[in-house]
Amino acid sequence: MKEKRLYLRNEEEKFEGTAYARQVVRDIRFSTDARDFGYIAENIPCQDACPVYTNIPGYIRCIFENRNGRSYELNRMVNILPGVLGRICSRPCEARCRHGESDLGEPVKICHLKRAAADHKHAGHRISENLFAPSGKTVAVIGSGPSGLGAAHDLAALGHKVALYESMPRPGGMLMYGIPEFRLPRDLLMLEISNILRLGVDLHSGVAAGRDISLKDLLKKYDAVVLTTGTLSPNDLGIPGESLPGVLSGLDFMMRVNQGETPDVGERVAIIGDGFTAMDCARTCMRFGAREVTVNIRKTEEFMPVDEHEIFEAKFEKVKIIGLVNSVRILGKDRVEGIVFERNRLEFSRTGAGRDTVPIGNSEFEVPCDTVIAAIGQNPATDFNDVKFKLDGHRIFTKNGTHATSVKNLFAAGDCNTGASTVIASIAQGRGCAHEVDALFAGRKRKTMLVRFEPAEQTDRQRAWDFIPPVPMPAADRSERLADYRNEVEQGFTPEQALEESKRCYLCYLKYEINVDRCIYCFACIDVAPRDCIKMIHDVAIKPSGAYGDFMQTRDWTDVRAIAIDNKRCIRCGKCYEVCPTQCIHIIKTELIEQDLEA
Amino acid sequence: MPKNDHYVIIGNGPAGNAAADTLRASDKLARISIISDEMFTFYYRHRLPEFLTGALDADALTVRPYTVYKDNNVRMRLGQCVERIDPADKTLYLKHMEKVHYTKLLIATGGRAFTPPHLAPFRDSLCFMTRYTDALQLKPRIQDAQSILILGGDLISLNVQQQLLKAKKTVYFALNPDSFWPLKLTPEMAARIQKSLEKKGVASCVAGDIQDIACKKNGKLEVTLDSKCAFTVDLVGCFMGLTPNIEFILGSGIDTERGVLVDDRLRTNFPDVYACGDCAQIYNPALKDYWVSVGWHNAELQGRTAALNILGDTKVIKPLKQGVLEVEGLKVNTSWWKKF
Repeated sequence: MKEKRLYLRNEEEKFEGTAYARQVVRDIRFSTDARDFGYIAENIPCQDACPVYTNIPGYIRCIFENRNGRSYELNRMVNILPGVLGRICSRPCEARCRHGESDLGEPVKICHLKRAAADHKHAGHRISENLFAPSGKTVAVIGSGPSGLGAAHDLAALGHKVALYESMPRPGGMLMYGIPEFRLPRDLLMLEISNILRLGVDLHSGVAAGRDISLKDLLKKYDAVVLTTGTLSPNDLGIPGESLPGVLSGLDFMMRVNQGETPDVGERVAIIGDGFTAMDCARTCMRFGAREVTVNIRKTEEFMPVDEHEIFEAKFEKVKIIGLVNSVRILGKDRVEGIVFERNRLEFSRTGAGRDTVPIGNSEFEVPCDTVIAAIGQNPATDFNDVKFKLDGHRIFTKNGTHATSVKNLFAAGDCNTGASTVIASIAQGRGCAHEVDALFAGRKRKTMLVRFEPAEQTDRQRAWDFIPPVPMPAADRSERLADYRNEVEQGFTPEQALEESKRCYLCYLKYEINVDRCIYCFACIDVAPRDCIKMIHDVAIKPSGAYGDFMQTRDWTDVRAIAIDNKRCIRCGKCYEVCPTQCIHIIKTELIEQDLEA
Repeated sequence: MPKNDHYVIIGNGPAGNAAADTLRASDKLARISIISDEMFTFYYRHRLPEFLTGALDADALTVRPYTVYKDNNVRMRLGQCVERIDPADKTLYLKHMEKVHYTKLLIATGGRAFTPPHLAPFRDSLCFMTRYTDALQLKPRIQDAQSILILGGDLISLNVQQQLLKAKKTVYFALNPDSFWPLKLTPEMAARIQKSLEKKGVASCVAGDIQDIACKKNGKLEVTLDSKCAFTVDLVGCFMGLTPNIEFILGSGIDTERGVLVDDRLRTNFPDVYACGDCAQIYNPALKDYWVSVGWHNAELQGRTAALNILGDTKVIKPLKQGVLEVEGLKVNTSWWKKF
């Protein structure tokens, strides 16, 4: 008989049977046990890699079932800008997709599917929000970038009155002014921002804290202030010639372009830097008439913090990436005429991770160019004049593991707190901060992460789907791209393409388990398994975190304590389930979810 | 050297074979394995254009028969693809799920046809030829084709064009001066090459890059260049240079840029892993740049040097002096390419 009770495993108390049952709803269980979180981390690696823990297999399955609206909402529950992130996410999930493991092909195009759900949901799609009753508390959020939007959204949903201050004319921060329009259409961005503002968030655009309004006054006026001011202070190259006309910072360049300017960059542009800003600058220059654009990096492409897709798109547009170079000085009298580089070699880093670069002696060489753009990172602008708070280097200091600054009721989240990161990580930061502020107001935590278990049926996944090659993203041709800065490059999957790509997902949230009490050790499951995913084991290692570790296999019958499915190797083909004569294999949908503790 | 040494060479070209010969000459007892994903024994790659048009038969491509390896006690693993390397564990993982342990590893995988990223959308319409397998597949298509457009981005394209003209094909040539490999052409050089090719019988030689390729109902391809020239042809051959064959190395921890990064003793950043030939990238102080060498002679030289260093020597690869190469009546200086 299947277990019909649902119970919440308590973090403090050991789980024993159903003694700590709190509620019964069908046969769904929730858990906060470390072993279950550990299971999620190892067996649903895409979800674990996502800073906001998006239920990726869940939303991909919805696309397969043609439930694009539900897929969008599954995203939006944790990631407030699915259409935006479906275009510009840094995709940490794809790097850990199990389809990309050795012998298994290439990762599922998770990000493109996210966009497909946003593109193909019904017009007039109903947005779902779990709104808490008004609390009477007020919060000012300074900065409307991804982190600020994340904080504002969650604070508003939790019932607090939010005022969102933005120094620029339009909200969105780096999304609006940093990312080029050919990657992120602004009407879509404004649509998803308006879904946040609709919760009752008051937007004060064109108002800069510390300039137009004092932080001290804000702290007096509101119950809490959240700083999400991002990183707006670009790093200098620190080389001679940097002050020459024609030398620009990547951030300033992108902000000027995104405010409508069309800077004259000349024919030859040398970009210095290896991040997303450097790539955006390079591709933008190609659209403003440059003929030869080089991205000059200290290490090699392998160590660039951008994904392969971004590198390909830049090269497709004829941007050249020059590796193992170091800028030495910029040449020119009245303006930039060239730049001198030296060659580097790589050495193992002394810290043990990555590589260090070592300049090669007497290797300087000169490259003529009309514009130099330095995109080598940026730091937070933290000077608010009237309120002094503790800094951690250039970043705003927050107390260990929290978002609380050294000033009472002043919080910090996002890049100004962590240093430059990704959009999805910033959203996670903003949301995390919102929950911390909420806990301060409420005197308790009102939401938490849980592992949810629900018995599931065998899916209709077919083994042949494992061999479907990744569906390429349709893209504008080169001439169309370069014709107008606003022409979006990626065209998005058609519904048919999205369906085809969705088939590739293994649905790692399905956990296949053998009930050893009913298993007759017939080996039928092992015989049909396409991989070594079903094992005879004598023990299971337990990790320091409490999570299950590797299965300890044995070939000695006297030592076998169970036949177990290693879900880290399982590709959810379901063959074992189909052949089991005693039906001792169960499928359990295992999801990491955010749950209201007071629901 | 202890008897149980296992020298593994990935690649069955001039570099790999020169290395195997050198290793065997100095170490009679060690196990030596050459792993190649090609099904054919060592062949002359530069003769492929002649084979393609039927001027040479397959026997004329063979450098040495299989029996030579048997006599030298070199294990030849043909048609086996290395999927990844674990240099810390000194293990190769082959695609057919076999693990191969090595004592010393030499990567000599050479290069393959380079497709510029901006041509990726047209890849299915283009023909490439860097290996015997490519030539075998292309040969019947070449024989059926009447008109062929060559996208000329390298010296091999000039060789292919010569052979096609000898085979009485109508040849069009689109010269890409911006990315001519391994040289960089000035507009003057490009103009002289264009003139020379037309004089030799090329129907039309224009400078430009592909803007579009459309497949017509009769199977012909309509190619439009960015210079607005258009050609309707049976085949489009893409010869835009070579790129090192190193995909299987990425992510292993062995440093790569365009090729496998090695020092002047052909050592990678991992002990006991060496690279040589067209897949290795070495800093050249004379050029103040990292260079991937090309050509048979360089590959053999590097193969021998790498083998000696594997055996414990400290041989250094010296940058070759600039040579003079004649391309379509034009003399250009080059450090690497001596003949095509």
